[in-house]
Amino acid sequence: MKPNFADHMINAIEWLAAMFVGIVALNIFLAVVLRKFFSTSIPDAYDFGRMLLGILIFWGIAATSYRGGHITVDLIWQAANKRWKRVIDVFATLVLMFVVAVQTAMLFDKVKGTYTDNVQTYDLNIPTWPFYAVAWAGDVCAVVLIGIRTWRLVFQPDMLKDEPPESHANE
Amino acid sequence: MSTDILSTDAIAVLGFVCLFILMLLRVPVGMAMGLVGVTGYAYIVGPGPALKLVGQTSMRTVTDYTFGVIPMFMLMGALVSVSGVSRELFKAANSMIGHLRGGLGVATVLACGGFAAICGSSVATAATFSSVAYPEMRRFGYPQSFSTGVIAAGGTLGAMLPPSTVLAVYAILTQQDIGKLFMAGIIPGLLAMLMYVTTIIIIVKVRPDWLPAGELKPWAQRAEDLKAVWAPLVLFIFVIGGLYGGFFTPTEAGGVGASGAFILGVLRGKLNRTNTREALLQATRTAAAVFTVLIGALLFGYFLTITQSPQKLTAFLTGMGVGRYGVLAMIMVMYLVLGCLMDAMAMIILTVPIIFPVIIALGFDPIWFGIIIVMTVELGLIHPPVGMNVFVIKSVVQDVSFTTIFKGVIPFVVTDIIRLIILISFPIIALWLPARMG
Repeated sequence: MKPNFADHMINAIEWLAAMFVGIVALNIFLAVVLRKFFSTSIPDAYDFGRMLLGILIFWGIAATSYRGGHITVDLIWQAANKRWKRVIDVFATLVLMFVVAVQTAMLFDKVKGTYTDNVQTYDLNIPTWPFYAVAWAGDVCAVVLIGIRTWRLVFQPDMLKDEPPESHANE
Repeated sequence: MSTDILSTDAIAVLGFVCLFILMLLRVPVGMAMGLVGVTGYAYIVGPGPALKLVGQTSMRTVTDYTFGVIPMFMLMGALVSVSGVSRELFKAANSMIGHLRGGLGVATVLACGGFAAICGSSVATAATFSSVAYPEMRRFGYPQSFSTGVIAAGGTLGAMLPPSTVLAVYAILTQQDIGKLFMAGIIPGLLAMLMYVTTIIIIVKVRPDWLPAGELKPWAQRAEDLKAVWAPLVLFIFVIGGLYGGFFTPTEAGGVGASGAFILGVLRGKLNRTNTREALLQATRTAAAVFTVLIGALLFGYFLTITQSPQKLTAFLTGMGVGRYGVLAMIMVMYLVLGCLMDAMAMIILTVPIIFPVIIALGFDPIWFGIIIVMTVELGLIHPPVGMNVFVIKSVVQDVSFTTIFKGVIPFVVTDIIRLIILISFPIIALWLPARMG
């Protein structure tokens, strides 16, 4: 099937999420090397590290939610026939969308609060709200992607490629 | 507080019932915990404060630098995994001992241990070796049951040997030192390998024709194969040694390990653009899945606190008069039963906030309990009737029935139960190394 706009957007979001994990690792690596071998440090490495981590996780949630990569209990689902599997998947995805939508709305308050309180980084006094805003944008993308997933589950089930169980490498 | 219609006990019970229904309907575990936790909290305290918790807890959790240990070690594991290290480890172990009866089984256990020491995931270890070791064992006539059984058991080493993701999450939930928990897993992990090898030797003694000898390789070939495993060995020693010696914090160890895995992969020509992207994506998705459950668990934790469920459970269990080891046995049986319903990470995150106060009240060491709980949960991954590792192996090796795999797993389940008894009887096995950390 030819990829459409939604597929390109999903790929772009996944790429962004993947890049953030690399940037976090690089930040930590450089901070350690500079501290241990050159007795110096990257200004705000700690603050950057934790804010980048936030960005990585929210963008990762977007990617994970679309691919059905969340940790789930599959006992009933595995025993169900194809039709019921789809019903269960649609129900679970709608609940997921509701929860992530509420989270996104509440996170916006948090970003707004960081902006109005003018929270800054420790060393360079850079405002932190843009980082929080980028993280929040990841959660917005998660809502959009879950919406696309729900649509496809109902109307285009063949277009979904969920993660196989062996890729749930988190135990 | 608006609890005039229902008592807090009734709300707590209702909360747990709703949680299990949502989870059984395949709502992601973290989302179900978050939804029930916030709804329950809102019912008792009010919707305003409950909704405020959502934004605050989510942002605080994902921007906690200490939690960075999870994605970093996952990235290290993913990079090593796509670099083909599992194949090299198995090749080296097979070269050295594959020519002995049962040698391929022993090689699988050793390679699983080596891979687990970098990867940190049981399911990933089991999935990887299903495609690496299984065809080789079958080629030399090993029975399907044994071949899959040894892989399922070897896979569980991923949760015990550092850097174990499950142990890191346990440490975060119980506010224990991640480094100490990693160290506490080393000797029990090595003991597991030793006992699995002993089990294979016993099988060979009982049924000598069951596990035939593999191919005898010349010494030059063996040296060549052994040389190929220098990279994961260096990485493991560097990362875990640095952690043990107090040179890195756990998050730094993860970041340096991931960067080291990338550098080694590139230098050895094992990483390209495609598989690097694959590793980055895999680490991101898995970390996001774990963080989702962590956020949900923290939100559910507020609900538990407001309903005082852990305190009530502690009072109930300690008042039963079955003694501390009686209570511990009950908790372990509960985990084995839960192992039929959900995976290791979900079990740990869901239950530890409730069970941990009981363990502390009973005077058990929290680090030791971390090892015991992970071992029990891992046993749940392979024991019948439902074992996550068994399902994963079945999804890779499709021509084997579940019954066959479970038949092969039984000797290793017995071994695990014996190991569990040893570790409960002698906590020093787990606690000796962390007590000597720098």
